Amino acid sequence: MKGLSEISPPPWLWSFLAAIIVLLLTFLVSGVGGSQTVTLAFTIAPYLVLVGLGQMLVMSAGPGNIDVSVAKVFSLGGLLSIAIGEMTGSWVLGIAGAMLAGLALSAISVVAILYVRIPPIVATLATSLITSAISLTLAKGFQGFADPAVKSFLNWAPFGVPAFAVLVVIFTVFVSWLLKRTVWGVQTLAFGQARRAAEYAGISAPRTLAVVYLTSGVLAALAGALRAAFSAPNVELGNDYLLDSIAVVVIGGTLISGGRAVPWGVWGGALFFILLDGLLNLIGWSYAGQSMLKGLLVLAVLFLAGGSPILRRRGARSPASWISRAMRFRAQERPSAQTSRHRRRAP
Amino acid sequence: MSEMISIEDGPLLRVRNAVKVYGPTRALSGVTLTVHAGEVLGIVGHNGAGKSTLMRVLSGLETIDAGSVEIGGITTPPRTGYPGVRMAYQEGSLALELSVSENIYLSSTAWMPRWRWRGVAARQTATRLQEIFPRNAIKPSDYVDDLPIADRQRVEIARATITNDLRLLILDEPTESLSGSAVDQLYDYVRKLRARGVAIILVSHRLREILSVSDRVAVMKDGDIVSVHDAADSTERDLFMAMGGEVAVSGTRGGAARRDMDGAHPVAVRIPMMTLDGEPADIFAHKGEVIGLAGIAGQGQEEVLSRLWRANRGDVDVGADLAYVPGDRQRSGILPLWDVAANLSITALPSLARRGIRQFDKEHELVTRWVDMLKVRGGARAAITALSGGNQQKVIVARAFASEAAVILLDDPFRGVDVHTKASLYQLIRSEAANGRTIVWYSSENSEMQHCDRAYVLRASRIAGELHGAEITDERIISLSFAESRETAA
Amino acid sequence: MNATSPALTMGGLPKGSARRILPGLLTLLAMMLILIVCGTIQPRIWSQGGMTLIMSPIVALAIATMAQMVLMSIGDIDLSIGFFVGMVTTIVATFMRETPLMGVLALAACVLAYAMIGALVQLREVPSLIATLGASFIWLGVGLFILPVPGGLAPDWLFQYAMWRPPFSIPVPIVTMVFATAITWLFMQRTRLGARFRSLGSNPTALARTGASLLLTRMLAYATTGFLGVLAGVTLTAEIGGGDVNAVPGYTLTTIAAVILGGGMFTGGRSVAWGALFGAVTLGLMTVLLTLLNLSSNLQPAVQGSIVIAVLAGRLVVERLTR
Repeated sequence: MKGLSEISPPPWLWSFLAAIIVLLLTFLVSGVGGSQTVTLAFTIAPYLVLVGLGQMLVMSAGPGNIDVSVAKVFSLGGLLSIAIGEMTGSWVLGIAGAMLAGLALSAISVVAILYVRIPPIVATLATSLITSAISLTLAKGFQGFADPAVKSFLNWAPFGVPAFAVLVVIFTVFVSWLLKRTVWGVQTLAFGQARRAAEYAGISAPRTLAVVYLTSGVLAALAGALRAAFSAPNVELGNDYLLDSIAVVVIGGTLISGGRAVPWGVWGGALFFILLDGLLNLIGWSYAGQSMLKGLLVLAVLFLAGGSPILRRRGARSPASWISRAMRFRAQERPSAQTSRHRRRAP
Repeated sequence: MSEMISIEDGPLLRVRNAVKVYGPTRALSGVTLTVHAGEVLGIVGHNGAGKSTLMRVLSGLETIDAGSVEIGGITTPPRTGYPGVRMAYQEGSLALELSVSENIYLSSTAWMPRWRWRGVAARQTATRLQEIFPRNAIKPSDYVDDLPIADRQRVEIARATITNDLRLLILDEPTESLSGSAVDQLYDYVRKLRARGVAIILVSHRLREILSVSDRVAVMKDGDIVSVHDAADSTERDLFMAMGGEVAVSGTRGGAARRDMDGAHPVAVRIPMMTLDGEPADIFAHKGEVIGLAGIAGQGQEEVLSRLWRANRGDVDVGADLAYVPGDRQRSGILPLWDVAANLSITALPSLARRGIRQFDKEHELVTRWVDMLKVRGGARAAITALSGGNQQKVIVARAFASEAAVILLDDPFRGVDVHTKASLYQLIRSEAANGRTIVWYSSENSEMQHCDRAYVLRASRIAGELHGAEITDERIISLSFAESRETAA
Repeated sequence: MNATSPALTMGGLPKGSARRILPGLLTLLAMMLILIVCGTIQPRIWSQGGMTLIMSPIVALAIATMAQMVLMSIGDIDLSIGFFVGMVTTIVATFMRETPLMGVLALAACVLAYAMIGALVQLREVPSLIATLGASFIWLGVGLFILPVPGGLAPDWLFQYAMWRPPFSIPVPIVTMVFATAITWLFMQRTRLGARFRSLGSNPTALARTGASLLLTRMLAYATTGFLGVLAGVTLTAEIGGGDVNAVPGYTLTTIAAVILGGGMFTGGRSVAWGALFGAVTLGLMTVLLTLLNLSSNLQPAVQGSIVIAVLAGRLVVERLTR
């Protein structure tokens, strides 16, 4: 990710490489059958990918944009979908209800960001507090089970390939297509690069921001709903997903300062993190150690990748400066260019 | 306390064959220059000519890739720059959240006490400001953010001169934000410094001003100094010809032909304002007209554009789509991660797309057409950040005109742009207007307003006067701009 | 923004000072109001003992707020302050008690670690938001490593300081808070380094042009934040009596909110030490108020969040009217 812009490999490559390295390490340590680990990783990864895609869209909308409410919305999504599913007997309504809740909660963030001009970090933090209050209330004396049909689908892995993962892969293709081939995608990325310039180009700030935050809320709630069906609903279900979602987005190559989104990088990052979790559990690291390692990893990736400044002086510290240094050698060999001519005008 | 250095002691500044390369761009291609103590050297030229790069090299911010730079006998500057060399920047040198004296303190810490510096800094600030710009209204404890831009420029200039060993002062477009008497005061101070033996390099687009204060004027083009003129023997036209030559600036004197706009052309834009006397009056534009907003900078022109752009208050009447060309391309213009093609097509994208899906072939066709028309140096595939300022501005302007907008708002977009680019863009404005587009154009440079059909001179956000066609001259604009200044002198 | 409105020049006051002082003043008023309301419900707080009781939980918050304020003044934000303060309590409750030298070294290492984060942010142009978020998990891990469950014991000298009854019946928490705020204010407003911090936050280009090192300035700012965080952790240890890395995760939002209440901005350049103090005390007193009103403590975060939104909304309105 530090490479020269023209010649560099695709931004998502590094995350996949890292995932593969962890996979290899896992084999070395455990000697367990390889395909099982891969299947397991692909079974769990899609939930993180969904949340990560939402976070990716939010972060691509410009510097300072971040959704720290995803963890709590995730948990609430899980609780709500099971609750509504039990009440109505339909898992479809359950999931739909959860997504609606995600929409409503992220709408609070949106209103706070757009109309009260609260920075996204604070707005989404406030939303997460409200969400957590709702979750706690809902969780009191909660009894509910996931619809067995959903549960079995989420566990279904014909030929070792989890069906749900395939669905999410298809969704990722769709997101990637949206970003490249639709006006919305280009406008969002333009907005993320230079907000004022984009506004003068006719791109609506409220609409762009609203869409990404609402999407993030819906995706987080959906992921939570499905995750709760996969295992069990729980107030703490989403806790890890905050840092993890940001980390997989960053590791995947999306620019933190906005303007470039890498959907496939989210997959690479998610697989890496999940395989890493598995490896650490295997070698018996405590939660303290896991936490420290994850933090160090994120910092290491940030160090390697760096943020990208919004504005650069022509040539300063850009990949082109490497080229310029090379050219300097050639310039010294060449005879110096024109000499200035002094001209005197006769009176 | 600068020593008196006589010219016989040898040049203060000696640049030999300086080369500076940024990627594919050769910003300096072998500049050779000498400057003596006690002389004023003016530097003129395009954007992309290398002026700003040369200034950055001289102030120690950049190192050259080849050649040599020697100032006061020193060839390798320490991190703080060559001793005795100070530069007043066009923008960006002041921390807005700090007070004036705090800014000056940080800039001159070497010459101020380590503790209890606030009093010393405040006194020196006040003294110097008074010396250069008598009767100014700036207090050292004022926060920079709350000062008007002209005052900020005054602070910036004062900041550059507060040092104990000033030998070379570089002024980069110092009068862009100043007006009237402040400009004269500045140049008086420059002459005073010159008498004390300080060398001054003055970079500006204002040819008349440069000739009035400089001893010699160097013309830069394509990264090199192509000629050096004695200011006393040269005219603006000489400088102009040295810079490029074929541009027929004089042909536009006299203004665009006054077009008979009446009921035959509908009114495209109407915005209610007031005259200086408090009477209601409108700024309006017919379809196909080029309307200018003139007057002293900061007198409400940008507010008019802003009202038009937002057009949501109900009192502003804009029937059609708007496009906006910002003046500050670094912050409000370019999309730095993308290439010229993406930057150019962004506004037009929705109209080229089909149901929200991009049509690449149509985009390509649009981009090619505009890149060719405006001769954007670098081409459609070049990264926008690799282009010179003038070419970037071409792309920003093209972006607005490439869209389907019927009304184009120009927010002083040609400041700091070279004359050749300006000429081609003026052409563009006229031809687009002839095609039925309405243009509302704010410019801080009075001569540009001659390209308009009508111009409103604004004063304190009110209409001081309206000029038609050939009436739009520098003198008329100035006299209308100052119409009320005696009454409202602050 | 170019023309200054006559109302703000206030003949003689520096241009722009009113706009900067007003939010802090309003927060001071809010703080007094809350104190009065609390005092009306429970007059016993108006004694040295009573005031000490309600103020001592707020001391650590106030100092942590100073830390956050320093970082916000350079334009960055610290999302790790909650776990950092918690981690410091684990160090103080274990090392400081048993092997003080190790404890001091450990705390110095913490400050150094913060400086490293600052270097990362500057050199690699990483947003502080994400860098500190990553760091927070390191602090959490280290804290859990030292004390997997809350435990340890604060050193005796710390207990003695907490028990001190200053003259003139001034409660010791107030002494601590005022002292910490005064030092921070002096540092940020009267020293060259403080001016450099603010310049870094307001316009890094300007700072670079003065010849100062952006890297060093940023690292020192982070180190200052780390130092204040350590102080906050030390005082927190006295308050809770031992170490617990999960003691105050909520400090993250609360300190940000307090700085905002004090007039701070997310865009950097402004240092509002006293305003931030008033903000911290206001938010800290919320708990007291809720308890006195017999409202569930679960509501507290929601109330804090609502206050922040309300204050920011109010400021928006005020700015629209006066600019």
